Amino acid sequence: MKVTFPHLGSMHIFCKAIAETAGIPYIVPPETSRKTLTLGVLHSNECICLPFKMILGNFIEALQMGADTIVMVGSGPPCRLGLYDLVQKVILEDMGLHYRWLTIPPRLTWQAIWKNHEETKELRKELSARNIFLFPYGLWMGWKKMMACEALEQLAMKVRPIEIKRGETQKRLKKALSWVDEAKTPRVLEEAIQKGKALLQEMEQDRSRIPFKVAIIGELYTVMDPHINRGVEQKLGELGVEVTRTSWFSTHIMRSLRKNKADQTSERTRFFEASKAYLGYDVGAECNVSVGEAILRSKEGYDGVVHLMPFACMPETTASGILTKVGKDWDIPILTLILDEQEIEGRIQTLLEAFVEMLEWKRRAA
Amino acid sequence: MANYLGIDVGSITTKLVVMNESDQILAKCYIRNSGRPIEAIQQGIEEVLTQLGKTVPIDGVATTGSARHLAAYLVGGDLIKNEITAHAIAVIDFLPEAKTIIEIGGQDSKVIVLRNSVVVDFAMNTVCAAGTGSFLDQQAARLGISIEAFGDLAIKANHPVRIAGRCTVFAETDMIHKQQIGHSVEDIVAGLCDSLVKNYLNNVCRGKEILSPIVFQGGVAANRGIQKALERELEVSFIIPEHFDVMGAIGAAKLVKKAKLSKTQFRGFDLPRKSCSTRGFECGECENQCEVIELLVDHQVVACWGDLCERYHHSHID
Repeated sequence: MKVTFPHLGSMHIFCKAIAETAGIPYIVPPETSRKTLTLGVLHSNECICLPFKMILGNFIEALQMGADTIVMVGSGPPCRLGLYDLVQKVILEDMGLHYRWLTIPPRLTWQAIWKNHEETKELRKELSARNIFLFPYGLWMGWKKMMACEALEQLAMKVRPIEIKRGETQKRLKKALSWVDEAKTPRVLEEAIQKGKALLQEMEQDRSRIPFKVAIIGELYTVMDPHINRGVEQKLGELGVEVTRTSWFSTHIMRSLRKNKADQTSERTRFFEASKAYLGYDVGAECNVSVGEAILRSKEGYDGVVHLMPFACMPETTASGILTKVGKDWDIPILTLILDEQEIEGRIQTLLEAFVEMLEWKRRAA
Repeated sequence: MANYLGIDVGSITTKLVVMNESDQILAKCYIRNSGRPIEAIQQGIEEVLTQLGKTVPIDGVATTGSARHLAAYLVGGDLIKNEITAHAIAVIDFLPEAKTIIEIGGQDSKVIVLRNSVVVDFAMNTVCAAGTGSFLDQQAARLGISIEAFGDLAIKANHPVRIAGRCTVFAETDMIHKQQIGHSVEDIVAGLCDSLVKNYLNNVCRGKEILSPIVFQGGVAANRGIQKALERELEVSFIIPEHFDVMGAIGAAKLVKKAKLSKTQFRGFDLPRKSCSTRGFECGECENQCEVIELLVDHQVVACWGDLCERYHHSHID
């Protein structure tokens, strides 16, 4: 058996950690590249969204390298993305690729547990006693690494706008993440985290700069994966913006586990509540949360909001319409970026530069 | 007196402006790229030199437009600025009370919302080039009329036909249908103008507050058919600046003037006589297979870009 998983943001780091620690053979798909996208586009329906195509490309590359078991997070309707796993299964089967599919349910319901039970029953036959014994420890290592990756990324978001040498933060973050990825024991991991944090903190910084505060909101795959959003987070940071986002793997896992009510779930609940002034019901996926977050960010004194969505994404298209009104009502600049397979890095750069300049004008006028 | 050069290299046309310290336009040109921006820039420099009569000292060069980086590497630009800011700067000096800028260019269309001479909101088409000049260009070519005559033909129409405005590819299907059932060319052309304006207002301006005074600029602003269609849809009149076609270049020149540089990197007016070319290669270091581009001026590599990891990237300006 060889497990594989998509490349979303730093997800591959902690998925790999679980498999590695539990001694389960795995294949990390090659880093998402133009080839990945080309494969994804070739084999999927033309009008489906960019995240679908990217993830499908990851799977094809991994299966071609010899993986035979796919682990994928499912979500739920009404977003088409909620049916991702089902559609991707059909496409991969049509391509004649052989594999098994394991969906991590978005919400732990009895139905989901039963479905997973069926899937895992098969897998269990192939796993050794040692694998099963080590699995909880693997989960723990994976969780630790996920939290470490997120902490490093959040630190990078803070220091990027005040870096003196442009691009230095990104280089150091990459290095720090690779240390976390390579750590095999809890002790080495702890050292890697500390070393990584120090690497970012010790970078040459200009503390006299006052960065703008901008929240990135929108469809979660697009927000979380730099390959899908063409590095919007990095681009904004390098233009002197301190970026915040609430979409992280831990947030979504916590949400599905319905745990940590006092902390993360409540943030989403607050966003959801705030959206009620504009939306009478749950549109689905991140729509209500996007609208609500923009409102609350304005109240919190943020300078702006960047709204990301894949082309033809239903819930976020709804959100973008409402966000123009929210921007006016709450006096907060909102930039919606629609992403698709075209190479529009230049255009995105133009829009982001103009957006940051607009914030500068606003600050000067105040 | 100090002089500044502003260059705006868009997807379809290249615009150059030489402006002096007191914002007088000494020379300007507007030429088609025909897919060869380097040649267009060289040609543009040649043309402004002819208009100037002799070389004048240049104290700063700024570039804008979608090929602003290429232009800066080629001519030795001192400042690279996005076209949204450049257009806004040009209008704020021209008409400080302006509240809306409508800019329709070849591949881009933008709306910029100004209040108290400050940009407060903007939008630009992203994934799709519907509602831009290139659509008119294509259809003009298909109908065998020059783009310059297009607008005048449109205002002669008696009954502009209805053409679906959602997508230009859909619009073309609709338009061919209208042509095959016998509508006159004038009515079809006017219908196209209506469809482009509706597309622009629905896609780019959606949710934006379009208040007067409105400034209409960009290459398409010269098209009388579009002017009429826009006026009809907005139900207000707008102002077309004298230099409507080179506003981006003017904005760039103004920005470099404001930057107060001590020394310019300008390669000089003899650039058109130098051999300028690019060569590309595919990097094989990773799966991205970046297409790396090198710019050569007089057989010397002056800049290199196109690599995602910036392994080869270099130029005089970064």
